Amino acid sequence: MNRAFNNLKTFYHKLGSSPWFYRISGITIPYVALLSFLFLTIGIVWGVFFSPTDFKQGDVYRIIYMHVPAASVSQSIYYTMTVAAVVSMIWRMKMAGIFIKSMAPIGASFTFLALISGSIWGQPTWGTWWIWDARLTSTLVLFIFYVAIISLYSSFSEKKSADQAVSILTLVGAVNLPIIKKSVDWWNTLHQPASIKFTESSSISPEMLYPLIISIFGFYLVVLLSGLMAMRAEIAKRETNKEWFKNY
Amino acid sequence: MTNLAKRIFYKELVSYRKRSSTYLSPIVFFLITIALYPLALSNDPADLSFLAPGITWICVLLSTLLSIQNIFNEDFEDGSLDIFFSLRVSTLPLVILKILVNWIFSSLPIIILSSTVVFLLFLPSEGLVILLTSLLIGTPVISLFGALAGALSLGKSSILGPAIVLPLSLPILILGTSAVTSFLNGENPSFYFLMMLAIFIFLLPLICYACIGALRLHYE
Repeated sequence: MNRAFNNLKTFYHKLGSSPWFYRISGITIPYVALLSFLFLTIGIVWGVFFSPTDFKQGDVYRIIYMHVPAASVSQSIYYTMTVAAVVSMIWRMKMAGIFIKSMAPIGASFTFLALISGSIWGQPTWGTWWIWDARLTSTLVLFIFYVAIISLYSSFSEKKSADQAVSILTLVGAVNLPIIKKSVDWWNTLHQPASIKFTESSSISPEMLYPLIISIFGFYLVVLLSGLMAMRAEIAKRETNKEWFKNY
Repeated sequence: MTNLAKRIFYKELVSYRKRSSTYLSPIVFFLITIALYPLALSNDPADLSFLAPGITWICVLLSTLLSIQNIFNEDFEDGSLDIFFSLRVSTLPLVILKILVNWIFSSLPIIILSSTVVFLLFLPSEGLVILLTSLLIGTPVISLFGALAGALSLGKSSILGPAIVLPLSLPILILGTSAVTSFLNGENPSFYFLMMLAIFIFLLPLICYACIGALRLHYE
């Protein structure tokens, strides 16, 4: 038990060292790339070509294999950024700042993808590109948060204060996101008494579910891959003049 | 400590009173935007009275945005913030008092002015008390967010402030307008008031410490 804890502690300390991360990520990136390519291809090809057609929506529903993974990823990225923000505020770990800086654009793009794919899905099924539904609104707010974090980061010239400022904003956002979500729910029930129901709990059949799970995995792996690459690039940018980087 | 707090309070009051543009511009902005809505939407009293709570809340929200840059900027530029942070005293009272005085000078006049929407936007007069109460409870939270945005974007581009404040203020906007509309529909609005109050109490310590952290960044 104690040994396991010590190993965990060493791992945590190593995680804070940029040369270690640069080396390890260089080794792991090809494997992650291969895995994510595999999962994504299997999930999408299975979903788009081999899963059965939905009897209500027809073939339109197949965009689910892109929309649901993107939506799931877009929220998870914010949670991981919140954890990194706590670490960055308490221990001033510079890798946490690099993590937030690199993940914010990725999160923003996946949120954008979720919004776009959702509205492409919505056009044929509900007959409109957009409705002010609770879930759509809170996803839009999440997207605005990502953009605010990115723009706050770019407004600082000093990297260290930029990391801290972005951590503060990420934390305040994380505290507020549940409140926003809840209040959007109230607002929705007050203003829109169930006009279009699109979240009826239709139990999804296993032939459709398996490819969905695989493509969700694939999306998470893509996020891992792009996160590792973005963090590597950020380390290279920040530490170009360091001794270890020149000798790398 | 209380002596210092009192002095900060008076200093803030005096400095706001001397810079009349800082509290006059939100008022002018509020009146102009209120006048824009009937011109753009409709001059039919029935339509306007339906939209009045929402329009009033949006105008209040936008006009408080005008004053958030002033909360810390002046003290940052003349260096008094620098001195305060190098003193060995707690910075918490300073932040709280600055937010309070900013609220008194930028939000309170607008709240009082917003009672004119009874005539301008034909808000049913029984809803006025509810509207004013919702503004009184809701605007302090917006001031908190404004202070945080002001502290983070000190000496930076001014578009950053609205980009931070507006998404954070969504719950207050929703709860504030819902309180008025639900009252006009004959429901009890106390749920919305209690909710806004809860958000304020919950966020007050959090945002104040976040503000201090954000201000410290500029002195590292």
